[in-house]
Order: sequence, then structure tokens, then C-alpha cells
Amino acid sequence: MNPVLPFVQRPVPAAAGIGLRAPHIERVLAERPPVPWFEVHSENYFGAGGAMHAALERIRADYPLSLHGVGLSLGSADALDQAHLATLRRLVDRYEPALVSDHICWGAFGGAHMNELLPLPFTEEALALMVSRVSQVQEALGREFLVENVSSYLGFRDADMPESAFVAELVRRSGCGLLLDVNNIYVNSINHGFDPHDYLRAMPHASVREIHLAGFIRKGHLPVPMLIDSHSRPVADEVWALYGEALELCGAQPTLIEWDQDIPELEVLLAEAGRAEERLHACRTAIA
Amino acid sequence: MPAAPRLRELQRGFVDALLGRGDAAATWVDGAGLEPSARLRIYRHAVAGTLTAALRDSYPTVLALVGEAFFEAMAERYRLQHPSTCGNLQQFGGSLAGFIATMPEVRALGYLADVARLDWLRQVAALAPDAVSVSAAMGADAAAVAPDRLRVRLHPSLQRLRSDHAVLTIWHWCRMPDGPALKLEGNGEHVLLWRDGGDVAMTTVDPATFRCIEALADGRDMASACRVASEVDDGFDPEPCLRDLLAQGLIVAFIDEESGT
Repeated sequence: MNPVLPFVQRPVPAAAGIGLRAPHIERVLAERPPVPWFEVHSENYFGAGGAMHAALERIRADYPLSLHGVGLSLGSADALDQAHLATLRRLVDRYEPALVSDHICWGAFGGAHMNELLPLPFTEEALALMVSRVSQVQEALGREFLVENVSSYLGFRDADMPESAFVAELVRRSGCGLLLDVNNIYVNSINHGFDPHDYLRAMPHASVREIHLAGFIRKGHLPVPMLIDSHSRPVADEVWALYGEALELCGAQPTLIEWDQDIPELEVLLAEAGRAEERLHACRTAIA
Repeated sequence: MPAAPRLRELQRGFVDALLGRGDAAATWVDGAGLEPSARLRIYRHAVAGTLTAALRDSYPTVLALVGEAFFEAMAERYRLQHPSTCGNLQQFGGSLAGFIATMPEVRALGYLADVARLDWLRQVAALAPDAVSVSAAMGADAAAVAPDRLRVRLHPSLQRLRSDHAVLTIWHWCRMPDGPALKLEGNGEHVLLWRDGGDVAMTTVDPATFRCIEALADGRDMASACRVASEVDDGFDPEPCLRDLLAQGLIVAFIDEESGT
């Protein structure tokens, strides 16, 4: 049920939050851990009612909230799913989240959804489509929307620009915010053989509104190195180092620990958030 | 080298590759030390894993009945023949029961499709819109309205399943298969499901009660609902049916057609 009064506006602070997943909801409601903010997957709340919403309303009342989508399929060449967008808008209206985001990818064609974050070719055609779609979404939601760089396991032969230029141009031309996934940059740097530091430097630092961190796994039995963005492990040392660089370039930003498979106890996520918080503190201190 | 594809062509080919309809997309992929088809396979496995996991979440009782290996194989065939049509995974799999009904391998398990329907309806009930139930006092007021003028609006989470099999008995047994041996007497069951707090409640009702609730859900007035229920059981008494619906909070409005309230 919708609350009688609107929620108090709660901006997401430049601190380390965690992705809230079903196994932890009960404990969060009961214990109210001192987490600075939570992020949930928008589509998990696309159902009209029920226990999930009852829990999220209680959490939203006490914590800043970010809605992170995985199913808008912004880069699908045939159509933007207007029903999906309308449901997202209802969700945004209902919860008044501090941040709303989805990915720089596509996931459906001809009505068939792959429910996966599929890679776009880094072409002018795809860029123009993404700019148009992000603008549509920002107009429909009446607010700033964030787009996230995705991990990928293949590239296309015909590209007009590197991934970093595609991401930076999309943000510049559409005026949206950037959700910078540092783990995805590292994963892609190994999978596609580019320099992650160059990629970070090419980002529009002033447009970064949020940073994601997660763990990956190494895929074996292949003749080339291949990392899979599994969200099933602690953040790797190489990614922590890259995160430190990102903070130097972008300043302290809201940072999220994502963990979606083999979800551990809440304490493990809080400890990972604590590691991020140490780096955020160092960044704030350096700036001060 | 083939000409660079337009985005539409590329995405059509990519989807075809993921659905096992051809590998034309491989010619556009930069292998970079790997066969392009091997790179596409990473995505094919990821999609299969995600969609199969979604079916496992939605159909835990079907999984318990058929086991891991059969479920995986069934999920693979199902997702290729009935691709997901929504960016929201909760919507994927609604037609699995109909697909199971066409599978020759499970013809001997005549109840399996209905167990799948029950699993799916549990999810529908869990995600249905919220609504405020009427009070017992409003129920008493409604009793004064002539039945041919009275309609009821039922809770959006209330779902119904009529089965030729003992589907709810089987469902419960699957949850606790180590309990007493399952004795099926060949009778079907009429099942009601609804959201009860954070859980989904389920119960069987007699066929006449089921028919009455079905008619009310279709928007028929109370007199008409009682009439069709009486065709099933001429001794049908609507009183316990309404009382139970009220007690479970499954009536969200009484509508007096004459006054419009």
C-alpha cells in the first residue's frame, strides 16, 4: 500500500552502500544495520503488491534508496519497451529514489528477451540510438538517469570508437549521469586487452554519480584470459586499486557493493562496504 | 569480410545465435584469440543459466517432482520454443504448464501440468496488487442487500485452480516427501490461493463453493452466483462461503447495484 505521506527526500551519500537482496531483507528490517544506503533491482519490484513492497516501503522510510534496472534494454534497435518504462516510472513515483539507473547494453530483439546485458557495437549508429533512448527515459521519468558500463565477453569487428569513448560520448550527448562500474572496467580490460587506467581517465568524471564494485571469476580452459562478471566473490585486489584511482579522478562518490550469486551472510557484505569506506575516507581526507 | 551489419541486423543475428537458430552473428564478432562462436557460447550459457534459474524459482514443486536433470532439459527446450517476452524475469514461464501438457515424456504424470499451474498461481498471488479488506460490520450490512443487487469485489491476490488431480495434496507431499506415503484416491481438487501476510495460503473447497467464488470473481451478482453453485450442489449454502471469504480478508468491496455503493 502506498504511504499516506510522501517519503522524506534522502540523497544517497558519498559512502559505501550494499545491494539489498532477498536473503537479507528480514535481518535488515529487524536489525536496521548502519548501512548508509541501499540499492535494489528495479524489476524485483515490478509486481504490483505483496511482501516485497511492504518491506521496501519500510526500508525506504529509513534509508536512502537507489533503483537499479537490468531489463530496460536501452540499446535494442527495434523498440524501447514502453510498458517496462511505464512500470519503472510508477516505481520511481512510488519510492522517490535518490538514484535511478540501468545499463549501456541491449537485451531484446523482435519481442524475444534474452534477459542478459548484451554488448553493443561501438558504432555511431548505436551511440545515436542510445543517446535518443536515454533522452526518452529521462523525459519519461522527469529526472536524471544514470547509465552503467557493462562487462562483456566479445567485441564486434566493426567499431567506430573504443568502449570508453562510446560511454563518455553517450553521457556527454544525452546529459545523463554515469554509474561507473570499476569491476566491469577491469574485467573488460582483461577480456579485450585495453589499459583500464586509460579507460578511467577517459571517463566524464564530473558526471559520475555512483560507483559499483563486485567480484569476478576466471573462466578456465580457454586459450585467452577471460573474466566473468559473476557478482559471486569479494572484490579483487586489482579492482580495489582501480577504485582508488577512480576516487582520485572523480572525488568521493556513492559506492555500492554488488553480490548476486552465492550470496553470503550480511556481515561479509558489510565488511566489503567497510573496505570501500576506508578508501572513501582517505579520499575525503586528501581533498580536505 | 562481410559488410558491417546495421544494428538491427546484428541484433537479429545475435538473438538467433542465442536461441540456437544459426551462427551468422559469429562473422561479425572479433574472436581476438578465440573462435567467435566460443565467445557467443559464453552468452548462450549465461542466458540459459538465467532463464533456467528463473523457472526453478517459479516452479519449485515441478522441480521436486521431476528432478534436476529432467528439469534442466525441459527448461532448455521450453526457453528455446517460448522465449522470454519481457525484461522482467518474474513474467517468464507463465506458459510452462501448457508446454508440460504437450510433452510425451511426462504423459504418465498427468498431474504435473496442474502442479505447474499451482506453482505459477502462487507467484501470481504473491505479486498481486494490495487491497484493503472490508470489515465484518460491512459484511453484516451487505447481508441486508437483496442478493440479485449485490456484487462483491474479491481480493486481487485470490486465485483459483480446478484440477482433475489431487494437486494440492501432491504439492504438500512434495514439500515433505519423507512424511506418510501419498495416497491418491483419484479425486480432483478445487484449490483457492491467496496472499496471507508474507506467505501464500492455499486450501481446497467443495466444487459448489468453488463455482460460487468463480462466478463472483467474474462479476456476477450474489443471486446468480448461488444459482450456478446450486447447479453443482443443490444443497449449496452461500453463508459459510461468504463468511470464510470475509474472515480471510478476501472481500475488498460490497457493491449494491441499486445505490451504487
